[in-house]
Amino acid sequence: MNGIRKIAMMLVFSFVFLSMGLVYWQVVNADTMLDNPANRRAVFLEKRITRGGIYDRNGVVLAQTKQNESGKVRQYPHGEMFQPLLGYATVQYGCSGLEATQAENLLGINDPSILRKLQNTFELERQGNDVVLTLDSRLQEVAYQGLKGKRGAVVVLNPRNGEVLALVSQPSFDANEIEKDWELIMNKEGSPLLNHAFSQFPPGSIMKVVTSAALFRAGLDTTDLYNCQGSTVINGQTILEQNEKVHGWVNYDLALAYSCNTYFAEHGIKAGEKSFLRALSAFGFGQKIPFDLYVPISSISEETPVPKTLNLNLFAASTFGQGQVMISPFHIALITAGIANEGEIMVPHLIDRVLDSKQNIIYESKPEVWLTPLDKYEAEKVKSGMILAVDKGTASPGALPGVRIAAKTGSAEPGGSQNTHAWYIAFAPAEDPQIAVAVLVEHGGTGGGAAAPIARAVIEKALEIKEGEK
Amino acid sequence: MLYSFTLRFLTLAIMWIGLGVLRTENMVDSQFFWQAAVFSLLVLAGALIEFFLGYDGDKSLLPVVQTILAIGLVFLIRIKPSLAEDQFVWANIGLMIYYFILYGLKDYRKLEEYQYLWGLGALILLLVTLFFGVTIRGATSSLKFGQFGFQPEELVKVALLLFMASYLDNNRELLRTGTIQVGRFSLPDKRTLGPFLFIGVFVLGLLAAQKSLGTALVFFLLMVFIIYMVTERLLYLFISIPVITLTGALGYFLFGHVRVRVATWLNPWADSVGGFQIAQSIFAISGGRLLGTGLGNGIGAYQIPHADTDFIFSVIAEEIGFGGAMAVISLFIIVVMRAFAISVRAVDRFGQILAAGIGILIGVETLIILAGVTKMLPLTGLPLPWMSYGGSSMVVHFFLLGVLANISHSSSFSISRISIGKRAGVLE
Repeated sequence: MNGIRKIAMMLVFSFVFLSMGLVYWQVVNADTMLDNPANRRAVFLEKRITRGGIYDRNGVVLAQTKQNESGKVRQYPHGEMFQPLLGYATVQYGCSGLEATQAENLLGINDPSILRKLQNTFELERQGNDVVLTLDSRLQEVAYQGLKGKRGAVVVLNPRNGEVLALVSQPSFDANEIEKDWELIMNKEGSPLLNHAFSQFPPGSIMKVVTSAALFRAGLDTTDLYNCQGSTVINGQTILEQNEKVHGWVNYDLALAYSCNTYFAEHGIKAGEKSFLRALSAFGFGQKIPFDLYVPISSISEETPVPKTLNLNLFAASTFGQGQVMISPFHIALITAGIANEGEIMVPHLIDRVLDSKQNIIYESKPEVWLTPLDKYEAEKVKSGMILAVDKGTASPGALPGVRIAAKTGSAEPGGSQNTHAWYIAFAPAEDPQIAVAVLVEHGGTGGGAAAPIARAVIEKALEIKEGEK
Repeated sequence: MLYSFTLRFLTLAIMWIGLGVLRTENMVDSQFFWQAAVFSLLVLAGALIEFFLGYDGDKSLLPVVQTILAIGLVFLIRIKPSLAEDQFVWANIGLMIYYFILYGLKDYRKLEEYQYLWGLGALILLLVTLFFGVTIRGATSSLKFGQFGFQPEELVKVALLLFMASYLDNNRELLRTGTIQVGRFSLPDKRTLGPFLFIGVFVLGLLAAQKSLGTALVFFLLMVFIIYMVTERLLYLFISIPVITLTGALGYFLFGHVRVRVATWLNPWADSVGGFQIAQSIFAISGGRLLGTGLGNGIGAYQIPHADTDFIFSVIAEEIGFGGAMAVISLFIIVVMRAFAISVRAVDRFGQILAAGIGILIGVETLIILAGVTKMLPLTGLPLPWMSYGGSSMVVHFFLLGVLANISHSSSFSISRISIGKRAGVLE
């Protein structure tokens, strides 16, 4: 029968087509699939690769793999202090945090040397690379102790070179117990697996430092006085001061120090939509932040991060960080560092260097400028307002004897009847900034009350360390 | 004799090497060596039986299937040892069934006489499953007797195949030429097509009701291909295209789980639950690259749900790589092509249709499940013949293989008689 031959040909052709599918996956796309975050092959490779260690800038062990009787065990000596930043790496639950993004370094699978290629081919036992972070575990400890038991994040940066000195997120978890307590950790309140430093919140009055740039760029005279009467009406929308306080006659410096909402709303609108949107972009809104971990893009509107035009009511609310402004504590810290660094925001980095198993440096980070939202003179103006805020404004709980600190508070309404998010940003010493801090205590009340003491402790410790190094 | 023993030894060598590799990785218990020994003895005993009772049929058919079986057994031990224990038992039973059909079935032509019994049997089996079946993974396709599960749709494959072969043998000419003229086409009349359509639609409808859509697709393609093969009229192939499109669309809108299947097929990466198994299957397959991660070194065996049944091929493709996967696919191609070769040589039309039907069935089943795990088609849960875990499938496929061997054996017998006759000048 001729039909048999035709059917046979059809089936053979189908099988050939099927083998094309195998070629597609196993030859053409093999590498692409390896990069998929849901693919756990990298974790599984550890059967024969000893994952490298993670260290702080002074060589303190943050994560390491130890061999014991039952096999390799990944240890995190500091428990939950560095979590969820470090993350975890398990066969069962995949990996997260730095353990995930640095997997290629830690496992040494991105090393193009011939020796590595041979080792890969013959599947020899080998040691991955060590990753040295820019973190300082002494600062991390202080920040962690300050935030412990609350919800929120602390980000500490070196404004001069973009190094991340501490990054705390609470609540947290102990990665040593992740396999045992997975269900417990998953169901714990406050999302301990989520890094709150990379989550978004309304910034509240912290936003006023961004609005300041719009004021300067529009050429408004910042020495002009403005009479704050406790509230103002813009386009039918009433804008209130916090606790309906009347600030009276204020100039720019005092308005920032007292965190005067009506001043920034009125002047922001006077500066115009264009200047405001340009200032937002200049500070990195609507842009991907170049970093070793994923940071969500900051936005001022639910539809597009930075829209072309703004509705007047939303515009007014955005000038003091309400409306639909959403930003992560990490980005806030970058903005703070930018003001501290004479208007230049450095590319943030967490990886200081990567060392192979023989301690040769195979990667070293270099400071780079990311954005320049302010010129030197403008940065100086914001700084003087922030210094005034510590001297006699809302940020005074963050003051330290003998050091001049520049700071700004924020109390952002999260919506509903929930307690406000407490924000505090600061850098010190004001005349030669060494450290920039951003603190967020979720539902913590006022920035001065809940967040400032944590920042103060961190700054005190950082300056003490600096003093010791001299 | 030498040929058949050589192939047997090669097959057993593959299995024992596989066991040895697993042994070095501490992934196999010593009890499996006993089970493997029993299986090996049975394979060799089979070769001896063929030697003494005489077997003139296709010499490669069984050894190739045994190789598929051996690879499947090794991988089952690697994936889930507890299931592999059962699978060895089923493999042994399967081999016995094969020889029982080969030598016990005196004349396969007798099967043709029960035409409507087969059709009715298929229907009854499916109805019973529909009413008394247990629902596993969304499909009502199992019957449970205490601890013992049984998949009637596997038996339905046999019944339906026998029904179609007998029916088409009897009505070939009418289906071919047709009696009613519709435009340019002449179609067969109601009386010719009626019983066939009735049983066909009913079986497919029942399967859809049980939500075993993969099996329904296999049956549909089997029917279309067999009719085309017998009648050689492209008309039947073309009619099937709108039918399958309409049924597919209907299934998509009627059944939620079909929509989920299609959505996860189009984008398995997005959904961590529904697309999980396809994504993990692709991760496993792509991780295998050309030569594989090595037996026992893959992640698929741990990561893919149902790696022991639907996704066994993904684990194979990962651990023995593109080379190994192609080897397995080639083995299946050989089995299917041998079936067609047997069909071409068969002396009677019923044997021809039946043999080719078995070839089509095995080919279509293999293609659909393999296309599913490689994301070329939406996934439909089907066992890979002789490889996936499952007693029903194993028994039924060895039964079909026995029928194939029987057809092959008797036709070569007839052919040799004819050629002897020709040589002697008796027959012309």
